Amino acid sequence: MDAKRNMAKEPQPREGGTGQMEGLDFEGVIERARGHDVEALAEIYRRFVRRVFGLCRYMLDSRESAEDATSDVFLKLQRSIESYDGSIPFPRWLLRVAGNQCIDVLRRRQRGRKVIVEIEDGTAVIEATSSEPSPLRAVISMEERVQVRDTIARLPENYRVPLVLRYYSELSYDEIAQQLDLERNYVAALIFRAKQELRRRLPHRSK
Amino acid sequence: MECYSEQTCALAVDGELAADEARRLRDHLATCRRCRALVDALRAENHVLSESLNELPEEADSPAGFSLLRRSWGWGDLVIMAAVLALGSIISVWFDELSIPAALEWFNPFSPGGRTNLIFSFFYYFAHGGTAMLADYAAVIGWFCLLLLLGGSTLLLGRRGRLRLPGLRLLIVLLTLSLPGLALDRRHADFVTVAANETVDDTLVAAASIVRVDGVVNGDLIAIARTVEVRGTIKGDLITAASRTEVSGTVEGNIYTLSHTLDLYGQLSHSIYGAVQSLHVDDRGHVGQDVVMAAGDANLEGEVKRSVNMVISESGDVSGHIGRDLTMIGGNQGGLTLTDTARVGGNLSAHVRQLKNVHIADGATIAGKRDIQLNVRESRFTRPRFYVHQALWLAGAMLVGWLGLLLFPGFFEAATQLVGSGWRSLGLGFAVLVGAPVAMIVTAITLVGLPISIIMFEVYLAGIYLAKVWVGAFLGRTILRPSGATKGDWVLGLLVGLLILTVIGFIPYLGGLVHFGVVCLGLGAFAAQLYRASRPGRTSL
Repeated sequence: MDAKRNMAKEPQPREGGTGQMEGLDFEGVIERARGHDVEALAEIYRRFVRRVFGLCRYMLDSRESAEDATSDVFLKLQRSIESYDGSIPFPRWLLRVAGNQCIDVLRRRQRGRKVIVEIEDGTAVIEATSSEPSPLRAVISMEERVQVRDTIARLPENYRVPLVLRYYSELSYDEIAQQLDLERNYVAALIFRAKQELRRRLPHRSK
Repeated sequence: MECYSEQTCALAVDGELAADEARRLRDHLATCRRCRALVDALRAENHVLSESLNELPEEADSPAGFSLLRRSWGWGDLVIMAAVLALGSIISVWFDELSIPAALEWFNPFSPGGRTNLIFSFFYYFAHGGTAMLADYAAVIGWFCLLLLLGGSTLLLGRRGRLRLPGLRLLIVLLTLSLPGLALDRRHADFVTVAANETVDDTLVAAASIVRVDGVVNGDLIAIARTVEVRGTIKGDLITAASRTEVSGTVEGNIYTLSHTLDLYGQLSHSIYGAVQSLHVDDRGHVGQDVVMAAGDANLEGEVKRSVNMVISESGDVSGHIGRDLTMIGGNQGGLTLTDTARVGGNLSAHVRQLKNVHIADGATIAGKRDIQLNVRESRFTRPRFYVHQALWLAGAMLVGWLGLLLFPGFFEAATQLVGSGWRSLGLGFAVLVGAPVAMIVTAITLVGLPISIIMFEVYLAGIYLAKVWVGAFLGRTILRPSGATKGDWVLGLLVGLLILTVIGFIPYLGGLVHFGVVCLGLGAFAAQLYRASRPGRTSL
């Protein structure tokens, strides 16, 4: 994808808002932020803080840790934005940075060890335990979505982290594998198992 | 053709299948209804996942609720700490209003005078021994424990989320209502001066090469400088850390000083507390209350309304008037000299090595008793008091350990375990032992931090005291290796460990080294556990 177009790609509507920068297109905001323009950085913060916080909240166990991580992401953004080359859309790049920040937090808690440790046969592709797969129902109500979200939040870290990186940050398996320092096959297996575990915990939501 | 597994279908739906395999799957789907249904269901499931996750939890709706400044040790904790201070100040006011009789004033750990007196006379009491020491010691420890208890429980409540935002807001209001209206005037330059016609209505904080006050400071003067000269009037206290402090004007509060020389030519309404190399109270100088000092040499030519308590290393000369008692320890070089004009309204107590170190001129007047004690170096093991003292010390440490275990079982046991990390605790402890005073001074300089640095100092002292409790408990447990880990075992281990540490402490040279190591180890474990406790709980994999 063209770098300029990626850079100019507007964030999703929920981040939209008003401000002094409203007249400026998003590409201009990023350019100015690269020059350490305080207003531009504040604009990025305003547009993306919810989304970044959401990721941190899913990845980390407490609101407080999520707030800390969110603050760190935006504090470091002043420097790290220089490394953004426009090869991927900005929101996706920012979520990747935020994901890395959360993984750093988790790693520090594990005293520098890997966040998710591969088990011996971890790279082997596993098969479905049941011959009759029963994915979650397609159409669900708002209350049910809340339940799905809560259940994901309560999943063990080694299921929750890859699942959130995949379906919230929309990272590819390769990117997740790189962030978590794991084999790609193992990431695939974890995501697959995470979904199975989710179905197990939400039986009445499966068909 | 055989159907594809669910995992392969899931990979395909996630767009993660290799191109040729994806093509084969697509061909298969065209003919297999079952696999097509599975892929559709998996795609729908992905949609549900993305949709559910992207609908952010409610708490994300208030991004303004935290700012870029939010840190783990953030505003909430600062507010809690401030609230503890506020609570402390309320209690202290309440204590002060109890109008405790003067004779029991030592029992009031919240009176600032008493507290400073305690801190500055600590070594004196330690050297002197006796029941007075225990009483003061108990008061100080009680005060620390109360603060720790207050702070600890408030922090815990806050951390566990039981103290929600309204609670915090209430505390802020309490704080605003209870803290004295501290107004500050901060000045920082090479030469800070308050001119003769100038009046500073606030507390003046000055960091400079020379600080000179010719005018009036209505609050306190807190000065860090090479030279501090007060020629005008300070309505509050004078607090200095300076090479030279000279007061020729008036100080209506106390003088707290850490200086090379302190010269008093003017009027001081209350007391002097401090440590100086050279103290000089000129014949024009007047001290309204006491002098509590550690000094290299002291020269008292003026008037001290109440008592003088001094530890001096070189010489003490008194030619002025002292309203009550004169107590002096040391003076091994020049000794204590009372000239013809000296007048002591109370008793004279001197603790010296040799009688010839005390010179009392014939014209000197001493209204009370003359008590000159020789500090003959006899073996401390021959005195029964020594054993009583040790037993009391041991009982005190056991009591503190037991109470701690009862009130904060998790914390005490974890800290005991952390002692076992050996070199790490030792290194951390040494760093804290050396670094904490620096941090406290730096914090105190930024005035907002003054109360915080006082709290840090108290936690620091408590940590040093508790160090032997943890090391003792760890040592005892290592030796006894109790099968169960009940509280009884912990306390028994503590007793055995403390006994061993006490005995080792008497070995010349080695004892001191071991004692130092114990303090470092215990302090390190304390610091590490404090850090751990302040972090949110770990998530397990």
